[in-house]
Amino acid sequence: MARPGESGAVASPILRAEKVSKSFGSTRALRGASLALGRSQIHGLIGGNGSGKSTLIKVLAGVHAADEGHIEVNGVTFDARSFTASDAHSAGLRFVHQQPSVFRDMTVAENLAADRGFARGVAGRIKWRDVNAHAAKVLERFEIGLRPKDELLTASPALQMMVAVARALQDQEGTEDGILVLDEATAALTGPEVDLLTQALRRYAAQGQTIMVVTHRVEELVGFADRITALRDGAVVAAVDAGPLTHENIVDLIVGPDGLSDDAGEPDAVIGRASDPALSVRGLSVGRVRDLDFDAYAGEVLGFAGTVGSGRTTLLRTIFGQQQRQAGSIDLDGKPLDVNSATQAITRGVAYLPEDRGGLASFPDMTVAENLSASVVGSYWGGMRLRSRKERRDATDLMRQYRIHASGPDALLSTLSGGNQQKVMIARWMRRKPRILMLDDPTQGVDVGARREIYKLIRRAASEGAAVLLASSDFEELAELSTRVLVLVNGRLGASFGTDCDSERLHRAALAGTGEK
Amino acid sequence: MSTIGKAETSPPSEVGRRRVRTGSILSTALEKYGLLLITIGIAIFFSVLPATSETFPTSANLKAIAGNQSVAAIAALGALIPLVIREFDLSIGANLGLSSVFCASALGSGWLPLLAIGVGVGMSLVVGLTNALLITRLKINGVITTLGMATALQGVVIWRTKGNALVEGIPKSWTKFGGGTFLGMPNTVWVLAVVALGVYFMLQHTPMGRYLYMLGSNRGAAQLVGLKVKLYTGAAFVMAGLLVGLAGVLQVSRSGSASAAVGEQFTLPALAAAFLSGAAIRPGRFNTGGLLVAIAFLATLNGGLNLAGAQTYVSDIVNGAALVVGVGLAGFFARQRGQTQDIDLGGGW
Repeated sequence: MARPGESGAVASPILRAEKVSKSFGSTRALRGASLALGRSQIHGLIGGNGSGKSTLIKVLAGVHAADEGHIEVNGVTFDARSFTASDAHSAGLRFVHQQPSVFRDMTVAENLAADRGFARGVAGRIKWRDVNAHAAKVLERFEIGLRPKDELLTASPALQMMVAVARALQDQEGTEDGILVLDEATAALTGPEVDLLTQALRRYAAQGQTIMVVTHRVEELVGFADRITALRDGAVVAAVDAGPLTHENIVDLIVGPDGLSDDAGEPDAVIGRASDPALSVRGLSVGRVRDLDFDAYAGEVLGFAGTVGSGRTTLLRTIFGQQQRQAGSIDLDGKPLDVNSATQAITRGVAYLPEDRGGLASFPDMTVAENLSASVVGSYWGGMRLRSRKERRDATDLMRQYRIHASGPDALLSTLSGGNQQKVMIARWMRRKPRILMLDDPTQGVDVGARREIYKLIRRAASEGAAVLLASSDFEELAELSTRVLVLVNGRLGASFGTDCDSERLHRAALAGTGEK
Repeated sequence: MSTIGKAETSPPSEVGRRRVRTGSILSTALEKYGLLLITIGIAIFFSVLPATSETFPTSANLKAIAGNQSVAAIAALGALIPLVIREFDLSIGANLGLSSVFCASALGSGWLPLLAIGVGVGMSLVVGLTNALLITRLKINGVITTLGMATALQGVVIWRTKGNALVEGIPKSWTKFGGGTFLGMPNTVWVLAVVALGVYFMLQHTPMGRYLYMLGSNRGAAQLVGLKVKLYTGAAFVMAGLLVGLAGVLQVSRSGSASAAVGEQFTLPALAAAFLSGAAIRPGRFNTGGLLVAIAFLATLNGGLNLAGAQTYVSDIVNGAALVVGVGLAGFFARQRGQTQDIDLGGGW
């Protein structure tokens, strides 16, 4: 039975999922999806948002019970309808999810011990010395710059994710029957850390570890994955050897023949540089940020590149009044922007979309319409009551304008895919016609198709007269979108680039000077 | 047979989708009105049960239940508003007691009823404001603040009443209002109707209500879209104080007395009803309509059991079980819809 997108076959797979289906209410998340993982291979599972890959992973993890299907691990067959988390664990499946399931207010050593158990002594006492020594070893092995007794919440999201990865892998070395599944584990990581992680993963694969990577980042798969399975609308559309695939091939698998193609490059936004800057920052010092000078003009996308801890997020938060600056000045249209709350910043025409969408931007159990109007609720006050009919009508318009795919304005936000949720967040700010639009990693965890659409929205914001400040850990994104890019290195301004920049030069500039650590 | 014919003419996926959709409409209706249907079912049950068929379905009994529950329902509306922002107000009952005791004692000293009402409601309002300031300014956890407040108020009330019931000097006109009817319905029910309409309007049709739901959904996001988080958090506790104060003075007019023991019995039923409100009318969201259904549900169940001659401990057990089962079912429905967040408390829990 040769399916259209099938090449080669997996000989003696360690893991097989057979015809797995799963519905949530009226949504069919998986329609008979099958998957086969070869022993000690690196397997890429790809697909757009809503393609069902997260659901498939959760079925494999025993989090969701499938409606039908079978799962076979190491020759043992399970019914996918009754496959539990403990089945998954004892079969050797190890998961690291998109949201790292770490205990933020506990130490690194405690986090690592949470999975494998604490070393115990007399009367059940925890042998802290052993626990910490083990943690130190694991941290060294994974090249994580933390100490065992550091509290995890003091670490960046990237380091937290690496601890989560290390926790899943810590006891796996040498075991050939285990399967490691990384679900968007690299979403929060920057270039060098991704490299560190992929190098380690290759080492494990070479030693016999089977690894499945679920990712939106196509470039990570090229030359890394051995085999790729692509999902679309809950069904497998391709299961192929990855060797000969190029970046474009993989994008095609995800997006499909009639999706937005990769070369849908828009003409660059017109750089209508007014004589005076919209935003002018002088000698700014706050947190890691030291003595920063820059101007941002209406109509441009000003990119901020930098590794984790370079001060990107601190900078944006400070402009939005969330952090008190220690020195320097921020001027908006020539007038000082001395704000110390989001409310004041918004009144001055500043908008900010934080990096952590789930934690700091979305109202998951409220409707799409309510999420869209969160920034302008007051404007619907009709004197006597909220004009909810107008609100819904506006929401429907915005959904069309911003290509938000949802069943309607009354759909709960949590029922939308990550990319569509992000479009809602952008639309929420855009409708205020902000003077300054600040975006912190806006396409994190967003699939290729939705990413293209978000890029269009960002360009449109600039062409409508906003000065867009784009902080991103994705150098390609910065190179493609920005009219200028400033590189932050340890809180200071490193290099700066014009439209001529490319991701490699950005990457190098961001790494410059970070070697001394 | 007709369905088979349909399946042959249209693509199978289409049929499948349609079936799923009717299924989801049914389950949505069940989520919204399930608790109401159960309440009606219970009422029918007690109407035909031999032990209660004589007494339960009489208009006198139903009016008595409605009249008695109005005060509890207003207190529950007071608990509802903080719950919308995922905060517990545990001082509901004690604050109600405070209002009723100070109102009764003012009436007993010969104050004009209107002034006495003002004293009761005003005291509770001050308590709500104090809760608000402690929680938003000193950043003390809401549960701890209101628990401490409840304990302290209990002390104040005992001091004021010296442990006795205040019955003397309460004017006939005021107790007459509590026991009276208007257009065939107890006066307290009319008061409840007005208050409930006001709360519904505030939560559903004003920016204030929307802000409260946003706060409850995601505090961090609410702050970053420019909400004055402290202001609205405080406002929720102040409104709770106001409503509970009103419930307190109504309680005086309903029972003709006030004592230190009055307040505490209101806290848990109010919280239970407020919690159950998330399981009806607008499932997944604590809402006014749901709260009224929840009150009716608990009142019908208890009224029926009472008439059937059940011991008081039975209704305690039933109340507790109803709360847990009701909230559990609401969470189950929410998960069925793929809603990621169950009905539970957000921040700090």
